[in-house]
Amino acid sequence: MSVPLLGMETEYGIIREDMENSDPVEESMKLLQACERKSVSGKWAYSQENSHLDMRGFKVGSLAQDEEEDAFCAEDRKRPYSYLDMKCDRVLTNGARFYNDHTHPEYSTPECRSVLSLVAHDVAGERIVAECVALRNRELGGKPLQLFKNNTDYSGHSYGTHDNYLIPRETLFEDLVKGLTPFLVTRQLYAGAGKVGSESVGDFQGLQLAQRSDFIETVLSIETMTNRPLINTRDEPHAVSSRYRRLHLILGDANMSAYATALKVGSTSLVLNLIANGEKFPGLELADPVADVSKVSLDKTAALKRKANGTVTALEIQEAYLEAAEKAFAGKDRERDWILEEWKKTLDELRYSPEKLSDRIDWAIKEKLFTEFMQSEGIGWEDPMLKSLDLEYHNLDPDRGLYRGLEQEGDVYSLLSEEEIVRAVDSPPVGTRAQIRGQAVAQSAENIKRIHWTGVEFVNGEILDLTGVISSEEVEEVLNTCKQLV
Amino acid sequence: MEMNDPLRREEKKETGPDRDDSGPSSPEPSRPGKDSLLKRMKKVDPKQSEKYKQRTGQ
Repeated sequence: MSVPLLGMETEYGIIREDMENSDPVEESMKLLQACERKSVSGKWAYSQENSHLDMRGFKVGSLAQDEEEDAFCAEDRKRPYSYLDMKCDRVLTNGARFYNDHTHPEYSTPECRSVLSLVAHDVAGERIVAECVALRNRELGGKPLQLFKNNTDYSGHSYGTHDNYLIPRETLFEDLVKGLTPFLVTRQLYAGAGKVGSESVGDFQGLQLAQRSDFIETVLSIETMTNRPLINTRDEPHAVSSRYRRLHLILGDANMSAYATALKVGSTSLVLNLIANGEKFPGLELADPVADVSKVSLDKTAALKRKANGTVTALEIQEAYLEAAEKAFAGKDRERDWILEEWKKTLDELRYSPEKLSDRIDWAIKEKLFTEFMQSEGIGWEDPMLKSLDLEYHNLDPDRGLYRGLEQEGDVYSLLSEEEIVRAVDSPPVGTRAQIRGQAVAQSAENIKRIHWTGVEFVNGEILDLTGVISSEEVEEVLNTCKQLV
Repeated sequence: MEMNDPLRREEKKETGPDRDDSGPSSPEPSRPGKDSLLKRMKKVDPKQSEKYKQRTGQ
């Protein structure tokens, strides 16, 4: 496989319902402080971070996020704690990072080797965040704190769900951009979480496919808070940079459906493997891919202009990628066969019977649920209640969240067993460097001075450099030779 | 509450990407919980999304 590691970062929406103007910095801090899970706290090695290198071969002076951070620093002078206190970094025994990023609690999964493992760790993140919400609400009394796994506040503020893929550096960046762009524009057909209304087209009333599609402004950019791109060009592999890139995709939605997450990450991973194999998709290049993101989200059957000539639909583009992936990967292994089968089934159902998607694709689940509600109440998409229902679909509270209600009633497809989720909450993915990190946290938390994706520094001065530890063999070697450390 | 049925759970376990499986199976067509979900939806504050103000993230 040309994608040895996968990861997912999710920023959660946070609100105190008993306050008119809740302070997200304060509330996010209190949430993280309520966490009772064994972890290494406040030891994240920020010195190892460098988000200013661009894959196009240059370094930028500053990013919008720097200005945001600076503004917070200025604001923080009035607060009785430091910038690092505010970040509340935690590294957990499952190898995940849980902290505050730009006023949102963020759960970054550990690095995973398989799609199923990544999805389990993404759902584990929901569990851990919800557990902290319950602990914080116990302190407050009642349930004034509510968290949402979504990407918008319906007023123009978006926050991200980023899918990450470690890929070979030898794949030319230009080939990556050309090969991937039409796929990314159209994967929202099954990866879109659905959104009532639009934050870019004011008079749109209805359900669009994706939450983030209103916020994509360019094909390539290193920025993440403004000028958001289809492909983020930040060159920060957290691995040996001569061998790898980390493809950091910021256009995706926060899926409540684990099946949708699996299909999104699985299909993207297969397309990356096709591109690494030298496959090109010249007939699929779009004349205006950025405009097409929003166009497809608002109308999944829209005709998209090709760069060459003629038009193509989002579904036809996805079918072309699927056909190439089937030719290259069918019968190779069980996981790839599962992705191919489910991808095909989903595209076939989109073409012939889209109502069948309403138990596992988020936008389709919402469409069915909200249509039934509108019929029962005699209201339409323009009713403000619909946006509130849309928000509540993403609420992590088991007694309030609409997706949670559907799960409890068995109305949505359940990809993971309870055992798989519980295991991911407590334990790292076996055979990845996250196993070493998680083991270090579980067994030697008090001996850790600094910790990062790329290594662990211990208080005795010893450094465990994991920058080059990618394969399961390399992981095993470290575990065998560094038993005294981890 | 079908999801709490261990037999059903076992059936579901056989349908993941690295297991022997034939893809997802749809839930039962009958929806005993439809009314309770409708009640849950009716309890939602119509101004919930209006009150929900966030700051820009990444």
